[in-house]
Amino acid sequence: MSNEPTHNPPPPAPRRSAHQPVRDSVTTIGADGSRPFLYPADARGRFTGARRWAAYLLIAVYLLLPWIPVGGYPAVFLDVAARRFHFFGFTLAAQDAWLLFFGVSGLGFALFFLTALFGRLWCGWACPQTVFLDHVYRRIERWIEGDAPARRALHAGPMTGARFFRSAVKHALYIVASLAITHLFLAYFVSLPELWNYMREAPGEHWASFLFVFIAAGVLYFNFAWFREQLCIVICPYGRLQSALTDDHTMVIGYDTKRGEPRGKVGTPDAGACIDCNRCVQVCPTGIDIRHGLQLECIGCAACIDACDEIMVKVKRPKGLIRYDSLAGLSGRVTRWLRPRTLVYGVLLLVGAAVATFAFSTVKPAGFLVYRTGGAAYYVGPDEVRDQFMVRLVNKRTVPATLTVGLDGVPAGLRQTGFNAPVTLPPLGETVSPLVLVVDRKAYRGPFKFTVRVQDEAGSFTLSREVEFMGPDARLLKEEEEEEHEKDHRH
Amino acid sequence: MTPPPEDPNIKLREHSYDGIQEYDQRLPNWWLYTLYGAIAFWIVYWFIAIQAGSVQPDGQRVQAEMTRIAAVKMASSIDVSNDAKFWEMSKNPLFVDAGRQTFNSLCVACHLPSLRGKSETPTAVGPDLTDTAWLHGGTPKEIYHTVSGGVLAKGMPAWEPVVGQKKTAELVAYILSHHHEGETITVQASN
Repeated sequence: MSNEPTHNPPPPAPRRSAHQPVRDSVTTIGADGSRPFLYPADARGRFTGARRWAAYLLIAVYLLLPWIPVGGYPAVFLDVAARRFHFFGFTLAAQDAWLLFFGVSGLGFALFFLTALFGRLWCGWACPQTVFLDHVYRRIERWIEGDAPARRALHAGPMTGARFFRSAVKHALYIVASLAITHLFLAYFVSLPELWNYMREAPGEHWASFLFVFIAAGVLYFNFAWFREQLCIVICPYGRLQSALTDDHTMVIGYDTKRGEPRGKVGTPDAGACIDCNRCVQVCPTGIDIRHGLQLECIGCAACIDACDEIMVKVKRPKGLIRYDSLAGLSGRVTRWLRPRTLVYGVLLLVGAAVATFAFSTVKPAGFLVYRTGGAAYYVGPDEVRDQFMVRLVNKRTVPATLTVGLDGVPAGLRQTGFNAPVTLPPLGETVSPLVLVVDRKAYRGPFKFTVRVQDEAGSFTLSREVEFMGPDARLLKEEEEEEHEKDHRH
Repeated sequence: MTPPPEDPNIKLREHSYDGIQEYDQRLPNWWLYTLYGAIAFWIVYWFIAIQAGSVQPDGQRVQAEMTRIAAVKMASSIDVSNDAKFWEMSKNPLFVDAGRQTFNSLCVACHLPSLRGKSETPTAVGPDLTDTAWLHGGTPKEIYHTVSGGVLAKGMPAWEPVVGQKKTAELVAYILSHHHEGETITVQASN
């Protein structure tokens, strides 16, 4: 055999899939509203392999985080019951909930920025829906029921004992996987030892958690066993935002029309590179034909790239007829990475990241509040003016803390009772105690502002709050005194 | 480019806005069934919850729960109407010890750990609780009343809303442990 094109062996006759996608309707929603179930063929190649490893890594991270102790707590432990949130040894208290704003908005900005540059990279590579579906559930299906044609034949055929057995094993494994995922999810909130306790006790002991885990597992099972791409197509809001976030210079998965068209079998004169083998359609998990252009169903999984590349190698043509490229690049123009959109999203992301970094750096390992006790704002006695406060101290750290409460900017002669000695708080403990401040009438010059300062023993941080010492106008107090003086004289 | 094959099932709706027409495609059955299921659920729920009255309205449920809490509180509450009970408590080391802990975190700012307040040197804000002179009544019941409701005009906070009835009673027991039953008390007329 020579390498001349005319002597090329015909490409392997691909098995045609049952459907011929059209652009104007969704393949997986039938004209009668039914759900044509897809049997996507296996793709092989660099992207499929890389995606699999990325998914294994993400699944490993998800499964392992609750097991890895950092500073005495699981690496990620959202302890809702104790209102303490542990992230890799960094503990946040409920009082730090405002930081959540930066977490959520930061994710939003990052997603905007990445989407403007790379399209639906998230969907194809990192979204839990894709990660679990493609790399757990579809693997189980592949393992138990065989490849796409085998599965299609099995499901089209009669319900035999063998088919029932395979089906039962498959669904049992689906349920096991769903339960594992939801149990681990609960462990993020209650920790593994507590989860283990829950699991050994009767469901009634923790019926809320029990219901959550089993309903969530049921939802996951339904989603991954049957619902699948419908979630991406009909429900996912991120997918629906795409058209607002991407443009002609965004990297997407596309088909090189200029090179591929007109399609023709190998050896057809004047034919383009596409041999119309339909392999890209067979591997597509959402049932589209990528050659119709960018479509809302495309989750950017790159299966069609690998499928087409494999065929192109077989027919000895350059790879990349379907590839990661922008719509501009696919039509022969130059992709512009720097665009108003990417710049604006990038600046937003940077500003957000800078503010978030600053915000997180100001989080102190303790918290405190000063508020007045109930009753009057101040008390005037025969010799003094008195203000009473309650001070709440919160130790957010997982080790005991010894805190000193001090006052700045108070007049000489002010007497303080409460917090005269350092307070030692247990790990994650808090206390509320009175702080009473007394100023002699003679030294009183009217209300003033002062600062309450909380320091730890090592002096590693200082918290401060400005508080007002309230009282009457000093002149009124003087007049009152003089009147009483006169009264005394007259009598 | 080969145009994508036309879908023979596509229907266009008649109306047209700015030359744009809508496809008239059927919703997925699962979507419709979810909608029908929600409607069916609403009818059943409406019947059971509102028509048949088998689900208590929220207001009544809150009221019932409040009544239950009040009953539990009453069942576990301490008899604060009886001076003899307070003297008994003041001799119970567990009660007194619990009272000391609360006292040392909340009351010492004004009354000092010695309880001597104004009589101590250096002096403090609160009145002396160890002597026999009282400003607001010196019987156990009266002391309980003062600790529980406070003397807002003088700056004594009401503690029962903060620490609850049990701890308030423990505090009184702790104060009484510095006194003995039957001692002569004087009540100074407070201005």
